[in-house]
Amino acid sequence: MIRDNAPNAAPIEAWNDALTCLQILQLDPHGFGGVCLRAPHGPVRERWLHALAQLGLPLVKVPGSADAQRLLGGIDLAHTLQTGELRMQAGLLQQADQGLVCLPMAERMPPALLAPLVQALENGQVPATHHNTLASNTRFGVVALDESLPDEPGVGGALQERLGVWLDLQALAPSDIDVTLLDKAQSSDSPEVDALHIQLSPQALAQARARLQHIQASDEQLHALCASALALGIASLRAPSLALRVACAHAALNGHSALDTDDLGFAARCVLAPRATQWPSEPLPDEQSAESAPEETSEPIEPPPEPPHAQKNAPDEPHEPPTEPDASPTEPSAQDLQEMMVAAALASMPPHVLDKLVTQAGARQGNSSGRSGQTRAGQQRGRPLPPRPGRPGGHARLHVLATLRAAAPRQRLRHPPPNAQAQTTTDATRVPRVRIRAEDFHIQRYQQRSSSCLILALDASGSAALHRLAEAKGAVELLLQQSYARRDSVCIVAFRGAHAQLLLPATRSLVRAKRAMTGLPGGGGTPLALALKMAHEQAAQLKRQGVTPILVVLSDGRANVTLQGLGGRAQAQADAQTWAQQWQCSGHRALWIDTSVQPDAQTRALAGVMGADYLPMPQVQAQRMARAMDSLIANHTA
Amino acid sequence: MALTFPFAAIVGQDEMTLAIQVVAVDPSIGGVLVLGDRGTGKSTAVRALADLLPPIEVVKGCPYRCDPTQPANACPVCQAKDPKTKTGVQRQPVAVVDLPLGATEDRVVGALDLEKALSQGVKQFSPGLLAQAHRGFLYIDEVNLLDDHLVDLLIDVAASGENLVEREGLSVRHPARFVLVGSGNPEEGELRPQLLDRFGLSVQVRTPQDLALRVEIIKRRDGFDKDPAGFKAHWHKENQKLQKRIVKARERLAQVTVSDDMLMLCARLCQQLGTDGLRAELTLLRATRAFAALQGQLSVQAQHLQSMAPLALRHRLRRNPLDDTDSGARVQRSLQEVLAA
Repeated sequence: MIRDNAPNAAPIEAWNDALTCLQILQLDPHGFGGVCLRAPHGPVRERWLHALAQLGLPLVKVPGSADAQRLLGGIDLAHTLQTGELRMQAGLLQQADQGLVCLPMAERMPPALLAPLVQALENGQVPATHHNTLASNTRFGVVALDESLPDEPGVGGALQERLGVWLDLQALAPSDIDVTLLDKAQSSDSPEVDALHIQLSPQALAQARARLQHIQASDEQLHALCASALALGIASLRAPSLALRVACAHAALNGHSALDTDDLGFAARCVLAPRATQWPSEPLPDEQSAESAPEETSEPIEPPPEPPHAQKNAPDEPHEPPTEPDASPTEPSAQDLQEMMVAAALASMPPHVLDKLVTQAGARQGNSSGRSGQTRAGQQRGRPLPPRPGRPGGHARLHVLATLRAAAPRQRLRHPPPNAQAQTTTDATRVPRVRIRAEDFHIQRYQQRSSSCLILALDASGSAALHRLAEAKGAVELLLQQSYARRDSVCIVAFRGAHAQLLLPATRSLVRAKRAMTGLPGGGGTPLALALKMAHEQAAQLKRQGVTPILVVLSDGRANVTLQGLGGRAQAQADAQTWAQQWQCSGHRALWIDTSVQPDAQTRALAGVMGADYLPMPQVQAQRMARAMDSLIANHTA
Repeated sequence: MALTFPFAAIVGQDEMTLAIQVVAVDPSIGGVLVLGDRGTGKSTAVRALADLLPPIEVVKGCPYRCDPTQPANACPVCQAKDPKTKTGVQRQPVAVVDLPLGATEDRVVGALDLEKALSQGVKQFSPGLLAQAHRGFLYIDEVNLLDDHLVDLLIDVAASGENLVEREGLSVRHPARFVLVGSGNPEEGELRPQLLDRFGLSVQVRTPQDLALRVEIIKRRDGFDKDPAGFKAHWHKENQKLQKRIVKARERLAQVTVSDDMLMLCARLCQQLGTDGLRAELTLLRATRAFAALQGQLSVQAQHLQSMAPLALRHRLRRNPLDDTDSGARVQRSLQEVLAA
């Protein structure tokens, strides 16, 4: 079933690429940032990780719960306390020098961890954690495991951007790999044997690394690389730079001394394709659909090396109008190379991915670096609160003053009798001045303002559009300005016809919000239930991120499209009631702004079911509405 | 110390490199804000900054890197010293300190030195990033995503030039004069107006769309990645030239004169654009002066104003937060009107 979704992403190909990536990682662990692997937990990922562990590189796992001190190194508190001498401790990043850092559940990494990690990755050194220590050099690659669902924000942008290879193994079923296994190692069926196949022997590794130093890209190839990145709508210059590095490593791996089309194709598939934000707008010559490009451009230029590539694309051909074949050049020019790379990149993208890209017009979903647990943890940042007894460690920092204060009254009790002390005068230096026991420990607490997110459910259906869509838009703009003042984020759900659409994922950029809204057309039925459902899902997701959701519905409440997207007023109303109840169960605040000309009791009742404040629009000036929302939030925070 | 990409080898992004050089000439302008997408070379340019600046003289052993020529502004450590003892002087490269997004307050403002407190029972202050950045640059990537309470801290310190720590039973005041350099992607969130105001210049960067330029950038980047030391050596001469230019400009800065006409122009421009406060005029004045010095001229001309006005005023206009038109264009338009009048 999964494979029906992505007929194009030939599983074998994807898996082969994933394995090649492992070899490239072994060859050049810190040259191209690392790998972002998007795959659910399962046998496929397990096998890949197993092979990764077999590479013989230092592999350090950084759990999301690690604290910054452990990550960057610092004072070994226990030892220092015991001996009274300063003892430093290497952090996880220093331990990973020349190897890899593995981030499980990278999409949930808190920014406090992600930011220093990115900094160290970028600079090749870990900053000094203490004013009299030095920065220590460390070079490592990152393997970020992303388990996010399609509608969830993925790995933080700042990190993901710096990771060269983005792999997507979501569509792979275990059976796909088994076939590959049989292909690769005829007689064996155990993953261990497969893993051994992957690891390069030390000798081969040394040779390949030596080769890597000398591989140069020709001007045409560089040109092609940059042009194809541009054609795929990748603005960042980091992408072609990383792609070049990956291509070089691929060439070194295959024993070439110069880049060839095969290497560039691989880089295009693994580095450029996942980042694409648009169909290549520069028309490939004589191409009606870019998807038919692979067959003709990749085949004439690089004849034998990739049979699965050609096979995979063969079924596509009937869909596309066959185009006249290019005169196959004897020597690939920059133009041909570019076509080849764009084609390779496109071929590796499953179609639905591009659909999403087209509708989103290049906007990336995730909008900040790491976004979990930002507001719940109260022990690290924010305004100080009074200290309380507790164990330091983890994220809690010892409040020294409070600890000493707690210990002070008991000093006399804790001092050993004088004669006992006389016996130990030899190591008098060891006798601490203050005797502190575990029960004295106080930790610091901080208060963090929990941020909130405004979910705007905007009715763009025919009934609303006729009368007041423009007015509602104006009102939304006012709400946006208000939320700007409070530094809240907004998220817009628009509904009309048979769908509710997430017009804008949670963002703090009002310009984007406004742009998304002005382009919104009106007309069609009112799928109120679908909208409420989507708002509910968004709210749950925000809640998980520690953000308080607040829903504002702008609708006339005349639902006439059911959950299934079919017409039928009675059923539609019933569905809407169900989801309104769901919202009430979630306990979040809501405000219903009735946009109908004649406010009616039915809508008011629906708002009541939701537990929402009700505000009919006819009397509302936009200003008053914004005030109403303000008071709602004030109540909420009070 | 890891090698950084040489500043002279940066191609494209002229506005950004210019703004950075201007600020390097006159740090009192107050920093640069670089807004743009990821992968436009923002951090590369900022990290390369240290290249541009000659080493500074600091009091030997001082954790705050005090200036030996200005004992009046010294840190508590230097002030506690007996004035009769001779202070050693040391040359150190200018600090470019990274402030990571998730940094805790302890790290930023400094905190009680836990190790000393626990092992020796001594109450001592362990300086944080703000102290490290004294007389240097404080770089914040994704400054628009910085937590509010850190922004509060920065706003205060950036304005007063000193860091006041009142926590954990400590009461420390130490100088922290640094140039704030921020970068970020405006699509991901907006900056608080107060923080925005603290930045002297603001630059908008886009990735170059010219293919040849992009190829050149990738080529250089690749050359650097393959052989950082060799690449750096190759560009050493150019870097030295740039550094010399900045040093010369600094010397010339005091001699650059601004005529009353120019002052009037500045004031009229700010008035017409309706900028808040006088900081806009001051910054514009300083920036044009530094730019003139950088150009090797001794008086400020209209052309200097023309290049600097968008940088200095772009982020100070009162604007509707929902309006996404480029403020730089507005500044240019007003400037043309003012010049024509």
